[in-house]
Amino acid sequence: MERKIQEDFAAELTEAVGEGFSLRWETDSKGVVTGWCRLDDHNQITDVARIVSKLGGRVITASAYKTKNAQQAEVREIAYHFDLDGCTCTVTIEIPASNGKVKSITPILKSADWTERELQELYGIKLVGHPNPKRLFLDRSIDEGIMDKLIPLSVAMNGASTKTLWEKVFAGTSKEVNG
Amino acid sequence: MSTFTIPVGPLHVALEEPMYFKVEVEGETVVSLDITAGHVHRGMELLAMNRNFYQNITLTERLCSLCSNSHPCTYCMALEKIAGIQVPERGEYLRVIADEIKRMGSNLFNAGILAHIIGFESLFMHAMEIREIVQDIKETIYGNRMNLAANCIGGVRYDLTTEKVKYITKQLECLKKSLDELYDIYTKNKFVRARTEGVGVLPKEAAIHYGVVGPVARGSGIDYDVRKKSPYAAYDRLKFDVPVEEGCDVRARVMVRLREIFEAIKIVEQCLKDLPHGPTCIDYLPEIPAGEAVAKSEAPRGELIYYLRTNGTDTPERLKWRVPTYMNWEALHVMMPGNKVSDIPLIINSIDPCISCTER
Repeated sequence: MERKIQEDFAAELTEAVGEGFSLRWETDSKGVVTGWCRLDDHNQITDVARIVSKLGGRVITASAYKTKNAQQAEVREIAYHFDLDGCTCTVTIEIPASNGKVKSITPILKSADWTERELQELYGIKLVGHPNPKRLFLDRSIDEGIMDKLIPLSVAMNGASTKTLWEKVFAGTSKEVNG
Repeated sequence: MSTFTIPVGPLHVALEEPMYFKVEVEGETVVSLDITAGHVHRGMELLAMNRNFYQNITLTERLCSLCSNSHPCTYCMALEKIAGIQVPERGEYLRVIADEIKRMGSNLFNAGILAHIIGFESLFMHAMEIREIVQDIKETIYGNRMNLAANCIGGVRYDLTTEKVKYITKQLECLKKSLDELYDIYTKNKFVRARTEGVGVLPKEAAIHYGVVGPVARGSGIDYDVRKKSPYAAYDRLKFDVPVEEGCDVRARVMVRLREIFEAIKIVEQCLKDLPHGPTCIDYLPEIPAGEAVAKSEAPRGELIYYLRTNGTDTPERLKWRVPTYMNWEALHVMMPGNKVSDIPLIINSIDPCISCTER
């Protein structure tokens, strides 16, 4: 059963996006299969959502993060984790840093609703076509994409307490070293 | 008939954590609702990316108290996948024991709260008293009644002596007897049935559409359990059934949870009987190479997933987790309409909501 779903997923994906993806399956010592897929074009995520929906799957969650490419430029990526009858398939897309927009898959897979809204408010990724794109957790007064510019408490406090503390620590350690 | 909007929460007697529901009613019938979250958002995902792998075991355990073993366990599983660590067999069995003991405590707590909401206080006290047997096991074995601190990278931090195995076996016998009696009341009592049957219905198609997990899904006839679908720890070597109910209502969900406790007892008994000899954990501090992994487990409330990306340093590049309750909130939009105002807390409780998990 599981074997068939993986084959079906690969076949449907080839039909939808042609050669524009990479896909590999891993099997662990318990026989659990995990899929890792990467799309060349981020717009094709809606094709993947349609395939998952057709195969009776669902969205488990989506993880947004930044990586660095070969030129050390920052790249925004989203990893969508889909469930296909117990097999977790992670489909990764790259979002252009310039506009930060992605097509919403919630109209196709309702299970992506909260996950996408959370992406939008924490990472400032604009969703195109989400049926209910309002804030989920954070207050409207907090800027979108706050995860990119979160200010540590020590900075917010102007470093007053920590600076004094570290001066004491460094003074103490330098004495030890000198002594 | 006129339509009114009733605010339920953020603080409510039946919900100990804050969640705000704007409920539209016609007379005393619910028409629709709007959920506003975020009252206790803690930004723990960002915090996790500023701590090293070892510190995060402690951090993830503090996400929530009821599934506090599932979090560090799944997180460690993700690390082990990236580093290619094989957990010793004894460690795997001990992980299952810790997980199932937490499941018993969590499910009994939810069933107890249901009795409290419908005003059946003696049943509430009874369920909580039975739960004390499980709490005593936790305290005796792990030294703590909520956070077990059982997991570490590559295994577990505790071991069971013959004396402790005997103690757990004795306690489980005691639990079985009391549980039979409790199950009987939940199954047959007219009052409990009248308040829970046909209330908060989530049809199977809607459950699939909303992607609900855990006892909420299984109460709507979906036979999905991570322990069976993607086995981990020692679950592939243990015999147990996945309770599924077709009722799709509050009653079906509580029945699934109560039946799961019997299965959990069976699982722990098998583990104690077959407990392999050998180490409980790897004997070195592993280095975690660059890589990515997903790890899943069946927490008391359902499927829990951890996604971890590492870059060769000692802190995660990205650590993202999705808790079971997260998927179940939206399904309230299906469960609520058509029910009475007095059933609102009951329906919310039936998804076993964990707000501290949801908001991280």
